Amino acid sequence: MNRFEAERELKRIFGFEKFYDEQWETIERLFAGERVLLIEKTGFGKSLCYQFPATQFEGVTVIFSPLIALMRDQVKALNDKGIIARYINSEQSKEENSQIIQEALQGQIKILYIAPERQENIEWIEAARKMNLSMVVIDEAHTISVWGHDFRPAFRRIINLVKLLPQNFPVLATTATATERVQKDIEQQISGNITTIRGSLIRENFELYVIKVGLEDEKLIWLAENLPQLEGTGIIYTGTRVNTEIYSRWFEFLGITTTEYNAGLDAESRKEIETGLMANKWKAVISTNALGMGIDKSDIRFIIHTQIPASPIHYYQEIGRAGRDGKPAKLILFYNNTKDKKGIEEDYKLPKAFIDGGRPSIKNYQQVINVLKQEPLGERQIMKATNLKQTQVRVIKADLIEQGIIKEVLYGRSKKYEYQFDAPELNTKSFEELRNQKLKELNSMIEYVNLTTSRMKFLCDYLGDNTPHSYLNCDNTNLPKYTISIKDEYLEKLKEFRETFFPVLKVESKNSNIINGIAASYYGVSSVGAAIHRSKYENGGDFPDFLLRLTLKAFRKHYGNEKFDCIIYVPPTESGDLVKNFAEKLSKVLKIPISHNLVKTSETKPQKVFQNSYLKKDNVSGKFDYQNPDEIAGKSVILFDDIFDSGATIKEVGNLLTKYGVKKIAPLVIARTVGGDI
Amino acid sequence: MNKELSYWVTLAHLPKIKTRVKNEIIVRLFEQQKTIIDFFNFTEEIWKNKFDLSDSDISIIKSGIDELPNNSFLVESLLEQGYKILPITSPDYSPVLKKNLGRSFAPPVLYTKGNLQILKEESIAIVGSRKANEKSLLFTDNIAKIASENYKVVVSGFAKGVDKQALDSALKYKGHSIIVLPQGITTFKSGFKKYYKQIIDGDVLVLSTFHPKAIWSVQLAMARNPIIYGLAKEIYVAESDYKGGTWSGVIDGLRKKRIIYVRKPELDEKNANLILIQKGAKPVDINGNLLKYETVNKKIDIRVSEPTQNYNEIESKIINLLKKGIYTSKSIVELLKIDWSTKKVTNYLKNHKDVVTINKKPLKFTHTSKQENKEQPKQQSFDF
Repeated sequence: MNRFEAERELKRIFGFEKFYDEQWETIERLFAGERVLLIEKTGFGKSLCYQFPATQFEGVTVIFSPLIALMRDQVKALNDKGIIARYINSEQSKEENSQIIQEALQGQIKILYIAPERQENIEWIEAARKMNLSMVVIDEAHTISVWGHDFRPAFRRIINLVKLLPQNFPVLATTATATERVQKDIEQQISGNITTIRGSLIRENFELYVIKVGLEDEKLIWLAENLPQLEGTGIIYTGTRVNTEIYSRWFEFLGITTTEYNAGLDAESRKEIETGLMANKWKAVISTNALGMGIDKSDIRFIIHTQIPASPIHYYQEIGRAGRDGKPAKLILFYNNTKDKKGIEEDYKLPKAFIDGGRPSIKNYQQVINVLKQEPLGERQIMKATNLKQTQVRVIKADLIEQGIIKEVLYGRSKKYEYQFDAPELNTKSFEELRNQKLKELNSMIEYVNLTTSRMKFLCDYLGDNTPHSYLNCDNTNLPKYTISIKDEYLEKLKEFRETFFPVLKVESKNSNIINGIAASYYGVSSVGAAIHRSKYENGGDFPDFLLRLTLKAFRKHYGNEKFDCIIYVPPTESGDLVKNFAEKLSKVLKIPISHNLVKTSETKPQKVFQNSYLKKDNVSGKFDYQNPDEIAGKSVILFDDIFDSGATIKEVGNLLTKYGVKKIAPLVIARTVGGDI
Repeated sequence: MNKELSYWVTLAHLPKIKTRVKNEIIVRLFEQQKTIIDFFNFTEEIWKNKFDLSDSDISIIKSGIDELPNNSFLVESLLEQGYKILPITSPDYSPVLKKNLGRSFAPPVLYTKGNLQILKEESIAIVGSRKANEKSLLFTDNIAKIASENYKVVVSGFAKGVDKQALDSALKYKGHSIIVLPQGITTFKSGFKKYYKQIIDGDVLVLSTFHPKAIWSVQLAMARNPIIYGLAKEIYVAESDYKGGTWSGVIDGLRKKRIIYVRKPELDEKNANLILIQKGAKPVDINGNLLKYETVNKKIDIRVSEPTQNYNEIESKIINLLKKGIYTSKSIVELLKIDWSTKKVTNYLKNHKDVVTINKKPLKFTHTSKQENKEQPKQQSFDF
């Protein structure tokens, strides 16, 4: 098919007149069974480079993409054009995914999007063995490189697959963000005869700003004042999940419509927010970096970061989704440069902590190796055998697989990890190298913050785009700088907000009468944690009265004038009568009778000993009972505890009380931990 | 990562094409210094003219090409799980297997898990009935012990009875062992779990020659036997029935001129050991010591009737036949309906002054009067 014929087909199927030259070059090579790496900025039309050939091939084109939101949007758009496209990912039920696999096997699908993790799914592997495959596409290909900014271990298997594919089988890898080092890495990994096509990365409609602050509150206040003035709708990235919640509550308090988004939400809520974002339902979505890549919205007018990303590539990638329509978009980055006693700037700490905490200790690696030398174990079994957190086990697993020390083996439908006969020694040198690379990248991000020249030029240079341009549109060139002025009015509002903001405990579930509860504070965010710690672990006596006042306030705000029949408290493990005494005080003030009948049937260990939720759950499972259950049947009760961590204890008691016929169980605690920080 | 592996797996499991044809392809690729990837990219003319492939072979190869991407998925999944895929050209491929089975029978691809070094070590196989008696199991234990003490690998088939005893004894005496599977390598989960420690310690290698997803079947169990024999330098038979896997395995082995040691049975045992000895297997005692054929044969006299045909009569029949043309030992036995084993015919003819041996597999014989010396044995550069 020549270009003339192809463009006639393009017009008929997609409604476009012409290909860009770079698009046609890519497509022509794919038609010839070649391998191509395409590096083009967001909005260039990379997806057409595989969608068009896919419509011309006989069989199915498989696209590995880490972006669920993108899959959804693109599949919808393709189906609207009459091209049969589907996706397989964790967002759909097993049955839906199976159905789609069947359709693909029967040759009914042209384009199939699939999450890279699926390459570990046995049903998919079985089906892929039998499909009529035409082409494989690796979207967001920078994620296959450890030197990229979002390395995903699951992609390692895709790469292995690509290496094994027939030599004349077309393969396309695409990305908007690859430094030269990442480019070389991708080329080498995909191997074969690969051609790289690289376009210019400049985004001329981007207006880049950096706002330096001296206090965290200044970020909240600047946004309170300026967010409503910004044109259109956008995204605010906070560095942590807990901050998505705090910022979102703050805007809610101010009457600015926003919503929070993070990977902790269930698939349905995430989908709802993504749809709402498309429909401009909120002024802004407050999110961790879980949102954004692959959102196919052309008019995102601003993207604000309250924390710096880990590197300029992360930053370019995260702001990349703004202003795809070519109209001006504001990209604002906050940076708190107050120095602590050691001379370290405040906002340097979080990304640095991610780097430092990114890898478990060598001892932890050895622990996992040792248990796997005894028998093949699944992930949960490893967690139970080593008392490591799930995130730690996952990092360790990925590294050990990468180094060929263990393998993931399918035992029927379950996965187990096996130590290998010819396993090499653990190589920690590569960890060190990666860490140094990450520190270097973080320092480049700081360089961006402190830049006095064109910000876009810095980003393009960093990403290896050497095409000449005139770089404007930032607060170092032709745009005025944003400054901060603190008005008393906003300081007051912030104080009021702080006193009325309480974290919610999300524990509701189908089979339990427990409802979402409330905490008086976060454990680590205020003086609350320190006060609890003194009483619990330093013989500091009863919990201080300010905690009682705060807890009562949280209770009233969350539960209002709801009537409760009694207060039940969780019997302690090692802190004596602290919880009981506190519950008695609550009972007196609220004039709700207290019950001492929730008891432990056998000893439990303090939950904080356990690093993962499986062990926490095991520790409390079946360990509670309620004496004289008749007295609470049909009643509404408050369930009180001092600290809410994984929620395993509260849920366990909730299940028990549900079994005894309690109508409603309302949790109340003094503090909720943030990501197990106790 | 070997980018040829999807191609190898595709070739190995092309249906309805004989192993011999597949191995011929591999030999010719070697001679022409081409890769298996090249082979799948050749034109039909080249397949036909340079590889002597038939039209039906070619159409099967073409459908194999369509399966290459799919086999890439299979191979990726296998490698990811720690299985090794060894093409016959791999330096890790068992040299003994290649030598014993030759072009006609050596599997183009082996699937393994465990210590590959085991494939290079001296090896013996112990085979026998699933319902073996106490003596057979004791014999198995003795042989495995001696083998292990002499650093010889014990090859067995992971069936009940003798196979299982051979494996467990080898491990008991700190020896190495090869488990030859009667199924695809991915369907052996319970075994991998049971021998996990031994595999990661490097004492056990699990090996299969079948499609990795194939489940156990009688046919595969039968097809697995020649692999066990092929992997071993010496073969010990603990106990054989009058039919079944061990029986046909030994018969096949004898036909391929393997040296097979069979335990001399006690008088009251009901099994086919004696008949196998009579058919050319070597008798051994319970400790594996070689016995003289005559000492065993006396007892055979009691139970088995000797052939009545005159020995000289048979000899002259054979020589007369060879005056008419070229024959293999097997065809001689079949045509003349004589009661000799093919091995016996071969040995007899090899040493006969008026007989010419044609050194092409299988060996053929003719009378000096017929020899026209047309066929020269082909020079082989490939190690088969």
